[in-house]
Amino acid sequence: MNRDFNNELNTDLKNAFGHIHAENALKERTKDYLSQKIYNHTPRWKTGFSLHLFRKTTVFRHTAALTACLIALLFIGGSWVFMTPTAFISIDINPSLELGINRFNRIVSIRGYNEDGEELAGSLDIRFMDYDAALVSLLDSQELESYLSPDALITFTVAGDSEAQYNEIFECVESCADGRSDIQCHSGDMSEMQNAHEAGLSFGKYRAYLILKEFDSSVTPDDIRDLTMRELYDLIDSYSDSSESENISSADSCSGSTDQENRSQEDRSQEDRSRGSRSQGSRHHGNTGQESGRHSHK
Amino acid sequence: MRSEEEARRAIDLYADTVRRICMIHLKNYADTEDIFQTVFLKYVLHTAPFDSPEHEKAWIIRVTINACRDLLRNVFRNRTVSLDQLIEKPQDMPESCSELLEAVLSLPAKYRDVIYLHYYEGYTAPEISGILKKNINTVYTLLTRARKLLKNRLEGGDGE
Repeated sequence: MNRDFNNELNTDLKNAFGHIHAENALKERTKDYLSQKIYNHTPRWKTGFSLHLFRKTTVFRHTAALTACLIALLFIGGSWVFMTPTAFISIDINPSLELGINRFNRIVSIRGYNEDGEELAGSLDIRFMDYDAALVSLLDSQELESYLSPDALITFTVAGDSEAQYNEIFECVESCADGRSDIQCHSGDMSEMQNAHEAGLSFGKYRAYLILKEFDSSVTPDDIRDLTMRELYDLIDSYSDSSESENISSADSCSGSTDQENRSQEDRSQEDRSRGSRSQGSRHHGNTGQESGRHSHK
Repeated sequence: MRSEEEARRAIDLYADTVRRICMIHLKNYADTEDIFQTVFLKYVLHTAPFDSPEHEKAWIIRVTINACRDLLRNVFRNRTVSLDQLIEKPQDMPESCSELLEAVLSLPAKYRDVIYLHYYEGYTAPEISGILKKNINTVYTLLTRARKLLKNRLEGGDGE
């Protein structure tokens, strides 16, 4: 019976499948497809077809890959341009802090140069803000307030690659300091800043260190790292006053020094400011600020 | 690469075979057309010589079955197929034939190939095992089960 069924199936299936034919239209379309895709566009060399396939599939892949690379490059280039600081503001009280500002006047880096500075840098939320808004919010912030003793001195030191941006930032910093006797503005330059970073100091503090070193060559960066700017400038003043007194009269030197120490805070800040503006001028002449500051003291 | 004349000859010669395999695997005409293009494109690109016309035909059958499987394996394709859709009736055929084909198409895919290759193309089990790259005993088992399933369906259908 099984054999019968098998034979029957054999005949029936042959018959049934025999009715199935490829339509002429289907055959013609397949021939057209091959002749269009391959034969009509065959390049003259033998590898033509693979080249044709290359055109069809690989060109698309290559274009996509190239586009992706281009986008990645643009993104990397863009973020490099955006994330590279072109100017710096060093803020020193006792916390020493440096703000890196990119060419679009946005703050892209905040770095503390001593323990207090790192703590303050961590607590500030000014990244990617415009530097002018950031300075205003920094001066008003609670975090900074806690470091400001009654006679604290804040110094802003500006350095930058671009003259125009540097001038703009310096003006802004000065306008922030306007009307506040506890703020001084100085200018530095980028090479000075490099030296400062090598010594592990913010360049605001490094300027003060260089001035101090003129009077006392035994001073090291570590000695002054955690001193407040007020202490530093008091120290500088005490040295410069004593040297001035020595020059004028050896008899008056002691009392002179005491008198100088009792000068009002406003006088001192005025002198510091003039030192700052002198150093700004000296920057353009290729001298460091501290040199002209030193000359003015001698 | 084969010449255009060779390609045309192969299409004329094997189109029916490819069409039948497409019918037992695919649910629509557009897919059939895709398979035709794929199979004959591969044929044109396949430069290794064939030992004999039988070898060439077996190669075409294998490539067609694999192309159909690849097409159906595509994740973007809706794999659920209703019987109504599955059965194409492009040609005029007697009702008894279409019933038998319907019964064949209702079998699982693995049985359809062996039924077609054995009963229509007349391949023996060892030859089918070579084409489908399956163990000979597996082919025997598939054939036996397929036959049994077909018998049940056809006799069941008669009984109703």
